[in-house]
Amino acid sequence: MEALASLAHGFSIALTPTNLLFVLIGVTLGQLIGALPGIGPSAGMALLLPITFGLDPVTAVVMLSGIMYGGMYGGTLTSVLVNVPGEAASVMTAVDGNQLAKQGRAGQALAVAAIGSFLAGIGSVIALVFLTPPLSAFALNFSAPEYFLLALLGITATASLGSGSAVKAMIGATLGLMIALVGTDPIQGTSRLTFGSLNLLEGIDFLPVAIGVFGIAEILVSMEQTQSGHVIRTRLRDMWLTGKDWAACRMAILRGGLVGLLIGLMPGAGPTVAALLAYVVEKKASPHPEKFGHGALDGVAAAESANNSAVHGSMIPMLALGIPGSASTAVLLAALVLLGIRPGPMLLTEQADLVWGLIASMFIGNVILLVMNLPLAPLFASILRIPYSYLVAGILIVSLVGAYAISLSLFNVGLTLFFGMVGYLMIRADIPRAPLVLAVVLAPLMESSLRQSLMLSEGSPAIFIERPLSAVLALCVVVSLTLPLFNVFLARRAARRAGVAEALSHSSD
Amino acid sequence: MRVTNLIAALTLLALSVMVLSGTWALPYWADFAPGSAFAPFWVAMVGMTLAIALFVTTLLDTSSEPNSFPDRHGIVRILALTAGLWLMVLLIPLLGFMSAGILFCLFLLLGIERRPLLPSLFTTAMIAGLVYGVFIAWLGIALPAGPLGL
Repeated sequence: MEALASLAHGFSIALTPTNLLFVLIGVTLGQLIGALPGIGPSAGMALLLPITFGLDPVTAVVMLSGIMYGGMYGGTLTSVLVNVPGEAASVMTAVDGNQLAKQGRAGQALAVAAIGSFLAGIGSVIALVFLTPPLSAFALNFSAPEYFLLALLGITATASLGSGSAVKAMIGATLGLMIALVGTDPIQGTSRLTFGSLNLLEGIDFLPVAIGVFGIAEILVSMEQTQSGHVIRTRLRDMWLTGKDWAACRMAILRGGLVGLLIGLMPGAGPTVAALLAYVVEKKASPHPEKFGHGALDGVAAAESANNSAVHGSMIPMLALGIPGSASTAVLLAALVLLGIRPGPMLLTEQADLVWGLIASMFIGNVILLVMNLPLAPLFASILRIPYSYLVAGILIVSLVGAYAISLSLFNVGLTLFFGMVGYLMIRADIPRAPLVLAVVLAPLMESSLRQSLMLSEGSPAIFIERPLSAVLALCVVVSLTLPLFNVFLARRAARRAGVAEALSHSSD
Repeated sequence: MRVTNLIAALTLLALSVMVLSGTWALPYWADFAPGSAFAPFWVAMVGMTLAIALFVTTLLDTSSEPNSFPDRHGIVRILALTAGLWLMVLLIPLLGFMSAGILFCLFLLLGIERRPLLPSLFTTAMIAGLVYGVFIAWLGIALPAGPLGL
């Protein structure tokens, strides 16, 4: 009941005219950013973070989170109508959504994606209302060793739960830790890795890294070739779902929403993994798995429900523990720090207006997005016809002005470009960028809590397994590190068995 | 991808050595607590281990996955864009942020993208207006100005 009373208070904050306006601005920007191929919600949030500097913290955070979940809705448009995922989490939607569009059912695909995203999103925000306070209260028992292990888990889990090579994901995280080491030692005050540069004494700001690695890098990739995509047209009257469509999709939405929420709660997995997993689960549960890949409406429903649910679910560890589980929540966490707010378990008590205002704004934002994606979907689809090159120029200039605005220094503009090139090379070398950004955000907490722990234990690493809570977290870190090795072992065994079976079949021939 | 992986492994190894040598003079342990070189030492160790792991797994990998770098046309476009961006940053102290930004927009739209003149001029004007409206007029950020006052 206390949570409901706090939520009611949150609505009184979120419904003020200014906050309502910025929820609308945030979700509209998120919808547009999600729809633009080559720029995802994390990049959009990083690019637009500087424009929140003059705003009240609640207003700034409701706008930035609006971009985060609005991006999940917007990505559907490009996936279905152009067959290019607007952002990574919409990749499974592109598979079936575009097939449906080619069959003349683009409207139904967009409608089921919007309704699925809305229902799963609202369900996930309800879970956020009831799970955040007890988790936050539980986290008050945490001390330095638990914080170190939790931050470490955030990084190692990103590597083990991601879809690519675990070694490469860990390389991304290590690069992030190296970036975070530059500057002045937070405990002893000595300068580290500054190589005599005064500009590096205060360390490397998070924003040039995030804007470069996400924003500039993605634009460089999209500029490799002239963008040209055929946009399939859709009309409002095509968006009605029949009773049969709804019956086929309602369980997919439920399953996708639950998968998304669980994946969102895990550090490191994020909406892309959630959408992939929900699609696989739905294919197994579906009475017509042969339709998947050729235009399955329930496949679209499951993937879209899961990605939106995961985005909202990932807010739970971020708000309760101060540990971001995904690249987008890492940007949001960095925004809180830049706005002078200390994230962590005390956030809910120290900044109750901000947390509950944010949660209430998510209910409102999802309603606005449902309206944008049902009756207004054809209007937003028409934006996809603007040639991408006209937008690129604006995005690049705003990125660089934003980088300058952080500290009024051209050095940061240069750093942004440098990290843009680093991000581009990482994409081409198939090294994931989210672990790098997560590591940059988590490194100060990791280093200070590690050193505090060893100070308390006079150098004994046993402090990390002495308390039951820290022992469980240490075990989770070990499991997250060994999971990729276990997967490699299973894959090799399966390949060996397949080889034996093939040899046997050849010998019987 | 094989060559790309080997280069990535060597780069990480070099960065790890740089972190280690850059903090070599700092204390690893100071009296009763870890010193300034404690975290860099362990980050460099992890970096070296991962570099060696990537190196070995790439050498042992027999699959011939192609690298994902663009063709010659794509590389030229990327190099032109990157050069344009760096040139813009170098021109900011001389011309001012807005003027350098306007020149960059025109270079991108007319030079790289080969877009028609009038829409390119219109887009550039829109971008300049947006930057002025949001960053200068609304947020009050003093962007470096050049001889034209922009």
